[in-house]
Amino acid sequence: MNAWRGIIAVAGFQLRRMLTPQRIALGLAGALFPAAVMLAARRIVGGLDRDFAVVLLYALVPEAVCMLGLLVTMCPLVADELERGTWQHVVVRPGGRRSLLVGTFLAAVIWTSCVALVSLVLTLLAAGVSGAGGLALVLGALVLLSCVGRAALFALPAVIVPKRALVASVGAAIVVEYLAGFLPAVVNQFTVSLRLRSLLVHWMGWRTSLPPDLRMIVDPEPPWVQFAAVVALATLLLAAAGVILAWRQFPPAEES
Amino acid sequence: MISLAHVTKLYGTVIGVNDVTVELGTGAHGLLGPNGAGKTTLLGLVTGQLRPTMGSVRIFGERPFANPRVLARIGYCPAGDLLERGATPREWVTYLVRLAGHAAAAAGRLADAALERVRIGEAADRSLATLSKGQRQRAKLAGAIAHAPDLLVLDEPFVGLDPVARHDLVDLVREWAGDRSLLVASHLLHEIEALDAGLAVILGGRLVASGDVAEIRGLVDTLPAEVRLSADRPRRLAEIACGGDLVDSLRFEGDETLVIGTRHPVALAARLADAAARERIAIATLHAADRSLEGVFDRLVQLHRGIGSSRGQRPPAAADLARVGGRSPTGATTAAGAGS
Repeated sequence: MNAWRGIIAVAGFQLRRMLTPQRIALGLAGALFPAAVMLAARRIVGGLDRDFAVVLLYALVPEAVCMLGLLVTMCPLVADELERGTWQHVVVRPGGRRSLLVGTFLAAVIWTSCVALVSLVLTLLAAGVSGAGGLALVLGALVLLSCVGRAALFALPAVIVPKRALVASVGAAIVVEYLAGFLPAVVNQFTVSLRLRSLLVHWMGWRTSLPPDLRMIVDPEPPWVQFAAVVALATLLLAAAGVILAWRQFPPAEES
Repeated sequence: MISLAHVTKLYGTVIGVNDVTVELGTGAHGLLGPNGAGKTTLLGLVTGQLRPTMGSVRIFGERPFANPRVLARIGYCPAGDLLERGATPREWVTYLVRLAGHAAAAAGRLADAALERVRIGEAADRSLATLSKGQRQRAKLAGAIAHAPDLLVLDEPFVGLDPVARHDLVDLVREWAGDRSLLVASHLLHEIEALDAGLAVILGGRLVASGDVAEIRGLVDTLPAEVRLSADRPRRLAEIACGGDLVDSLRFEGDETLVIGTRHPVALAARLADAAARERIAIATLHAADRSLEGVFDRLVQLHRGIGSSRGQRPPAAADLARVGGRSPTGATTAAGAGS
């Protein structure tokens, strides 16, 4: 019970930090960017095929917007505390390290999900495709799963290399999500991108029409397996980050 | 309450603290040392931010690192400035109390009480960015005491404050300490002295002395101190000074300055004054070692660095420095000392 109080306190405090005019402007820019791309695509192509529009929506919102939002909110997990001189205040509280990790994770997921969902609505309007309500549900679910999985993924670099967390997270995103995730091998089972792709293919009913080589990079298991896999992966990554953070020490000179 | 046994903390190849053994009982304690002496590292070990590389740290009988039971009983006010500029002191202190596991409503009440106690006034609801250093210091202190810890640990709490703010803060800390325990790290000795705290002196990562102020002064009295005088006939004065067993060392600096190392500066000064009057020697200046706590501290620093032991004076033995320990009125003992 007490542990949750600390976690909720951190989540609330982090969200307050994010509600600055600069951060809100950045979030709005992030939300508008996919809609602008969609409008540009419509103008260039002159009317988008629905399936192409959905793939573009998926690439822009659950992938690009979520990734960028989480890079900004999750990567400074430790570095921000060190810079603000608040690290020492937090870690001397009982359960402070754990609360910092999980609370920041929650705040990052909430903030990024909100930005991505706003972006999704705007981009759907810009796409002008039929069945926008159903698409919003499908892509909205993918946004939430993307945020949970990727926030946990970025927690690891944030606690291992706090001062290089952004670079390390971009590296992790490229190597893990976009290289390993597209390998037709067992290793892609441990990526969030495989689960999101598989859910999109399943919900859009594309599985039977996929070319054989693309089927190899989509998991045939039902949606609940994909959900469970993302949750398990996120739990595992967060637990690993928690263990590392629990043992993390910074010499006094590094704390300013 | 605080027990460190042969504690060493290394940062790679850099030594933070070196083989420190100390027992501090309930009450107020000051940790004195110059910048880079290892005070913050020692406090980091005590407050569970750091793990010792060697040795053991026990606070309230338990290991503090990652131990919520111990951390719940500690309040810590770090040395660094608080750069959480977007929040108000009330929001910041409430956040810290909630982080300690209190419900939101209770945390609000505790934060209000702590802010009132540190007398931050209307500044409690202004952004930290707009507050003076002294007001931010009060906010930090409120954050450290709001959850009513049994042990309050303050790292350089008076740095950067104007004299009025310092005085206020010293009063505040004294008032808070009362029947609770306090560990204050500082190089501003008069504030530590004002706290009526037991002293532990740390230099170069080593604990070189501990006890109360009188004990440490007593220690220094047993070590050679320098008396420096300028006179028109310094060589005659040197002869007179050497006429008893008061002098440990003696040297000339230039034609008129005589520097004498002695464990009995008062008796020596009296003898020299008598002789000067009798033989009409004009003494222009006579300067004995500073007897204030500041002077004591300077002396310990010098001894630790080997100054004053190289010109014929008896070098300070590690045992001498550590010996102050024993059992002080505040319960402080030092088992491990260190020379230079």
